[in-house]
Amino acid sequence: MSDWNLIADETRALIAYALILFLIALCAFVYFHVYYRKSIKGVVTDETQLALDVAYFHEKGKRNRQEDAFYISPMDEIRKYGFTACVSDGMGGMRYGDEISQRITDSIKDMHPISFFACENNAEAIRKISNSLFEEYKQQGGATLVMIQIYNDHLSFYSVGDSDIILIRDDVATILNPRQNYVSILIRGLVRSGKQTQVAYGNNKARALVDYMGNHNPRVIYTKKPLRLFADDTIIVSSDGLTDAIPWKSIPQYVERSAVATATNLKMSVKQKKLPKQDNYTSIVIRLSRSIV
Amino acid sequence: MIEYYTLMHKGNAEEYTDNIFMNFDSTVTVLIIYSSKEDSPEFTEDDKSRISSMITGCRGIPFDEISKALERDIAQGIDYMLIHINDSMINIERHGSIFAGIVKNGELKRLPNGPFSIEDDDRVVCGTSEFFKYLSYPAVLSDALTAESSEEWMDNMVCRISEQNMLAEGNLTAVTLIVRKDDIKVLK
Repeated sequence: MSDWNLIADETRALIAYALILFLIALCAFVYFHVYYRKSIKGVVTDETQLALDVAYFHEKGKRNRQEDAFYISPMDEIRKYGFTACVSDGMGGMRYGDEISQRITDSIKDMHPISFFACENNAEAIRKISNSLFEEYKQQGGATLVMIQIYNDHLSFYSVGDSDIILIRDDVATILNPRQNYVSILIRGLVRSGKQTQVAYGNNKARALVDYMGNHNPRVIYTKKPLRLFADDTIIVSSDGLTDAIPWKSIPQYVERSAVATATNLKMSVKQKKLPKQDNYTSIVIRLSRSIV
Repeated sequence: MIEYYTLMHKGNAEEYTDNIFMNFDSTVTVLIIYSSKEDSPEFTEDDKSRISSMITGCRGIPFDEISKALERDIAQGIDYMLIHINDSMINIERHGSIFAGIVKNGELKRLPNGPFSIEDDDRVVCGTSEFFKYLSYPAVLSDALTAESSEEWMDNMVCRISEQNMLAEGNLTAVTLIVRKDDIKVLK
């Protein structure tokens, strides 16, 4: 007590000011950590934001011309509009496959920014693209289309035909989109009559498409509600040139922590197979990782 | 209203020996019996007709009572699942390797025993472990989210199983259910 009295009045005043300032700083610190962080949690959290790492390859294979086409939305607009990517694969053996696939991806590009939430409208817009191709090309060509949209930690997708949207999670690959080919129709018929389905795979013609872009009013398969994504998921949007060369179930062994490394592994592996009839192969690889905002 | 679709496929077995019993009211009752499971005790024709008449007459009987009666009447070691579902809740009692999953908020979640609230367009799949053997969670989820109907959802899952085994293994037994609240509109 006596020591405190020895300090000069001015010094005691300074110590008091310092204590008050310290208390104010402490209150501000507590407020920021407890209240402010809580109030912004609903808008942005490290849990809901996943960072996207994207890479692609677009190769001709043994074909004379490139009939695959693709589109990737601007990466610097992901926060604002989300991410869109699509691949279209011109139907081999038909005229205009290259023109049609390019027309499709150009039309998707023209639709940017595409609402993540208007799934039904987006599917309708894709159907309209197909109808305009039908008017112009009179079914003398066609293409498949697979398109994905990612917004925060959710995925929507659209598919016409038999190209692939592959999700790799926990080292297991899953093709997300049902294939629109005759095999699926044959299987349905066989199951309804209680039979096994070997016969559905015996005929190569059964792989033919029952719906495609360029057909009139094709059925666009799409997610009615988005699918939740997690950190470390990898998504591959590709033409069937990839899965013809590499069985889709073995794809996890090519997956690395970066999209570029995964894309490089896949591309090199297809090249090394040197298949004499290697189709065009195009893939967009998207790797998701946790991002702190 | 509950929209549903059932799959009962014998695979490469001589007979289809699993069972699905259903009762339709404002609450739908589903009972799946996985009697084709290896080493499962026999589920006799007598058992079948007794359980069938119990489920046929279960309208209005509380879930717990049906559950207790089944526990008494189904031989120990036989796997089964009882489900009560209407457009606001689902109640499940699972014994053994039969599973149920619900599609909610973009995820497929496995349903444990007990009651849970459900909403319009919620999608539920229940089936034997043989049915789910070749189906990953994302596959079941993706087929649920793209399907227009419970039938299409089942068809797409069956195509996936077929790709793996050409449906040449054991009995396949499953039910897909979709809650359709807006199916009936009342005009005033």
